[in-house]
Amino acid sequence: MPKQKLNPLPSAAFQILLALAGEDLHGYGIMRQVAEQTGGRMRLGPGTLYSSIQTLFEAKLIEETDAREDANLGTERRRYYRLTASGRKLARTEAERLADLLRVARSKKILRGEYV
Amino acid sequence: MSEKIYAWLLRLYPSRFREAYGEEALQLFRDRSRDEAGFLLRLRLWADLLSDLALSVPREYFHVQPGLASFSAHLRPEGVPSFFVFADEPLGSGALLFGGVLSIAALVTFSVLLNHGVRHVPLSALLRPTQSLPHARSSPFDSSAPKTANNTGEMASASKESQPPGLAATPSQPAKGAAGRIRGSVKLNAVERRRIVEAAAAILEKHYVDRDNGPKMAAALRAHEKKGDDDKSTDGFRFAALLTRQMREVSPDRHLTLDYFDSPLPPHPPAPTAEDFAHYREVMTRENCTFEKIEILPHNIGYLKLNSFPDVSVCQATAEAAMASLNHADAIVFDLRDNRGGEPAMVSFMAAYLFDHPEYLYNPRETTTEESWTHSPVPGNRLADKPVYVLTSVRTFSGAEQFCYDLKMLKRATLVGETTGGGAHSGAFHRIDDHFGMGIPETKAINPYSKTDWAEIGVEPDVKVNTADALDTAVKLAQARLQKK
Repeated sequence: MPKQKLNPLPSAAFQILLALAGEDLHGYGIMRQVAEQTGGRMRLGPGTLYSSIQTLFEAKLIEETDAREDANLGTERRRYYRLTASGRKLARTEAERLADLLRVARSKKILRGEYV
Repeated sequence: MSEKIYAWLLRLYPSRFREAYGEEALQLFRDRSRDEAGFLLRLRLWADLLSDLALSVPREYFHVQPGLASFSAHLRPEGVPSFFVFADEPLGSGALLFGGVLSIAALVTFSVLLNHGVRHVPLSALLRPTQSLPHARSSPFDSSAPKTANNTGEMASASKESQPPGLAATPSQPAKGAAGRIRGSVKLNAVERRRIVEAAAAILEKHYVDRDNGPKMAAALRAHEKKGDDDKSTDGFRFAALLTRQMREVSPDRHLTLDYFDSPLPPHPPAPTAEDFAHYREVMTRENCTFEKIEILPHNIGYLKLNSFPDVSVCQATAEAAMASLNHADAIVFDLRDNRGGEPAMVSFMAAYLFDHPEYLYNPRETTTEESWTHSPVPGNRLADKPVYVLTSVRTFSGAEQFCYDLKMLKRATLVGETTGGGAHSGAFHRIDDHFGMGIPETKAINPYSKTDWAEIGVEPDVKVNTADALDTAVKLAQARLQKK
């Protein structure tokens, strides 16, 4: 089922993969990163965030690391998430698919742009 | 405080999700509430949380057992409903208790409502709408039977045979019968009442037999309506009964009724179709035209048990054969104890054998025509001067009563048994709309014998005995009479 749930890849799941592409993050970190990379348009609520994490985890696209403290956020121990190789590959495939889409959009004069 | 609320809201998620991520979700909530202080940010936080909850809770449940869901989807054939199991945890004792209490409450509520809360409507009325029209069907204003579209006075035997016993007894008091059945559920307003009153008045003016009283009744109905006497009647049955009373106040005519029918009346009186005739013919053939028994009893007494007076065009040959086989009898017994009536033409046809000259047969339902005289003498017939006995019961009805009444009045027969049913209404049924109709006498023959006919009161027998003993009694009377000769 996870495969079906991720095909097509929901935008929340893709954003999480992208957020984790740079560094390992805990849940709140992912949420803030996603908000930042979407210009504040996407604020993942806990339900959406963790159900996406659960799905990605079950599909082995991300993995958990040992819980540790976040120095900026007090002494609470937090679980961190890391992109797996297949997760990275899926993120790249999705990005390429979107790039193809963009190219088509540009060729149809729907979108103007210099690159990609 | 707000964290507690959110912790409580988290319980909406399936336990599997809560166990894996509940603590982290709470942590995230704490992080956000710490970082997003200030009224507007808090508001945004809660808006986020609630919309998130609304979106992700159902999704979590739907995907909680993906394996199971896909398995059942795989098993499910097209178009067959199936159930999904969402929860993966055993039911808690609290849930069981709550479910039990809820079930008992529902059960109690349901039974209380059944007994007290709702107005009782018989199931049969819901299942078979036509059944709430027995009055219309068995009414003498019957227009649904074959051949009676215009000739409304006739009691069509075709409808009788398909009619459950007992229903036919209702026409003696049509208005009461209808009102006693189901209370009208239609709520009438002033406009509708005025429309009904106007329609009824128009019918009275145009069709009522008494040219003086018709317009008077119409005026009375209109006056009552104008004065507001009808304003309280919002119930169809009551309104119909009220109008009937108002009409009868002007002239007490028991055959004049305005009736309400709970289920819609057919748009026009359905004309009998070829199919109806075929069916009628088939039934008559199967039942030997309701000539149930024809035999010669000891002492050469002819016995004929006839259960209706069927259509002459269908049953003439059968009737002739029956009478021919009794032609040499010295006395004749007509057993009409189970005869529910039928066609006046057949009444006349049968009676013709009992006279050696044309005899006038009075029928309150029809104006006098050529058909009112019997076609006597019947060639080859030897029964014209033989003693005649007619067996009667309370079931003897309508056309059969005409046979009894006229033979009694003409002193041509001795009636043995019980007083007959008393069905002699005459008139036509006028449809006003889907629910209202009016039965009014349109024709009136002059009774040559007395002021009253057998309507409502029946025909009194000459020899009153129990129905069961009627045949023995009649046979003994016949024997005694034959021996005297």
